[in-house]
Parts: sequence; C-alpha cells; structure tokens
Amino acid sequence: MDKKEFLLQLKRKVSCLSKTDIDERLSFYSEMIEDRMEEGLAEDEAVAAVGSVEEIAAQILTDTPHPQATGAVASKKGLKAWQIVLLVLGSPLWLSLLLAAFSVVVALYISLWSIVFSLWAVFASFVACAFAGIVSGCGFALTGSGVVGFALLGAGILCAGLGVFLFFGCKAATWLNLFLTKKLLGWGRNCFRKKEAA
Amino acid sequence: MDIQLKRGLLEVCVLAAIKSEDSYGYKIIKDMKPYIPLSESTLYTILKRLESANMLTVRTAEHDGRLRKYYHITGAGQKRIEDFKNQWNEILSIYQFVTKEDERNG
Repeated sequence: MDKKEFLLQLKRKVSCLSKTDIDERLSFYSEMIEDRMEEGLAEDEAVAAVGSVEEIAAQILTDTPHPQATGAVASKKGLKAWQIVLLVLGSPLWLSLLLAAFSVVVALYISLWSIVFSLWAVFASFVACAFAGIVSGCGFALTGSGVVGFALLGAGILCAGLGVFLFFGCKAATWLNLFLTKKLLGWGRNCFRKKEAA
Repeated sequence: MDIQLKRGLLEVCVLAAIKSEDSYGYKIIKDMKPYIPLSESTLYTILKRLESANMLTVRTAEHDGRLRKYYHITGAGQKRIEDFKNQWNEILSIYQFVTKEDERNG
C-alpha cells in the first residue's frame, strides 16, 4: 500500500472526527511515513512499519473524543437507575398532567373545527332558505298571492346574498384551521425528533 | 505494566527525548525504542496531552521540501522531569520495602 492509499483509508475510517482532528492526525502519520522513507525504507515498507490502518483507526477513535462515542456514552447515561425509579414513582402525577394537557389541546382543536362546521351549517341553511324562498315566492306570486310571494322572493334573495357573503368567511375559516393543523403536526413531530436526537 | 504508571513514565520519557534539543515525531520514537517502545498513536496522544499541559510547544518547519513538526520543551516540562527524578528515590524506597517483605516471607 502506498502512502496516499494509506492516508485515504485512514481518513475514511476516522471520518466521524472533526476536520481539524482528521487533518492533524493525517499530517502526523504522513510525516512519520516520510521520515521512514527518508531513512531509506521503500514507500510500502514505511507504510507497513507505521502499522495497519484498522488498528490505528481504532486507537485514534478510542483516544479522541467524538460525537459518536460521546453520543453512545450520553445515551447510556441518559437514564440512570434513580431517574427511572423517579419516573415510575411520579407516573400518577406526570401521566395525569400530561393526559390533561393533551385533552385540553384536543378539546381546543375540536372546538375550532366545530366553529368552522357550524359556519358551514349556517351557510347551508342560507342556501336552503334562498332556494326555498325563491321557489315558494315564485309559486305564491304565480298563484295570485302577490304580496306574500314577493316577500318570500325577497327573503330568498336576501338569504342567497348572505349565503354568498358567508361562503367567503367559511372558506377563510377552513383554511385557517387547516393551516393551524399543519403547524400543530409540525410542532409535534419536531418535539419527538428533538427527543430522539437527545 | 500498570496503565497509569506507564502513562506517567511515557510522558517523562517523551519530555526527556526533547530535553537537550527540539525533536520530531519519528526521532522521538527512535530515541525511545531501546528503552521503551511506543506506537505512533500513543506518541500522538502523549504529545497532545503535554502540549495542552503547556509542557511543550510545537512549531512547524520546512525540511527537505516538506513540513515537519518540531517539539520544544518548556519550563513546566523541565520541572516535570525534575519532579520525576526527585520522586524516584521515594519509589526506590517503596520498592525496597516491598521486596524486603517478599524476602522475609520467602
């Protein structure tokens, strides 16, 4: 193996270290190989004298603190025995509080959607009234009860107008709720991701 | 050998290797080899530790068209060697005590 290949393999094996650490290590081993070559060893002999890449990489990873190693230690440390005991003992308290908080969020969410639902219901009744008013108004007007007919027709047209007006409100409220749902889901997902990362 | 003891001894040895004049990695290993062999990775760790303890300083100089790192001992490093020499008598007397007990039992 030549020096370039050795350094490349070593770099690959310790890639989890910081760039500064990797660069420093590589220049150290590069210097070691070059000094041996200067003494008269052939390139592959000098590389072999330094040792196997696997052993060196293993040694480097043991000696240098790096995220993967500290991460493993941290996750082991994450829950100590007393913390688990505390979690179990405290479960009647924190579990019920957590459930209560969750229910409040769910209740708020449901009430938001019920507002939207009732708005659409009002819209539907306006449309129904408009339809019924116009049809019955026309019916009354044609059968001779002009005044009642026109009153019903007017009421029907008024309902239609209010319905059109309300339609935009309903649409906006639905969009707002959908937007909130999206935000809420994103927030929940982030919470879990952060926990997993920690 | 006990890891802690060996670690301390290796640190003093590396300091001794750069005591009289600045030296570089491969030369330190070569100079120490007859007394106490050590691998490149171990040397790197020791040099780093001594550097962060301000017992040596590092400078990069050009050699034969390439860069080489030279290590220079500081006052704190010199003191570490002196401390070791002073402690040696203590260690010797402990050794004598331990072997005397052996002789008596044997």
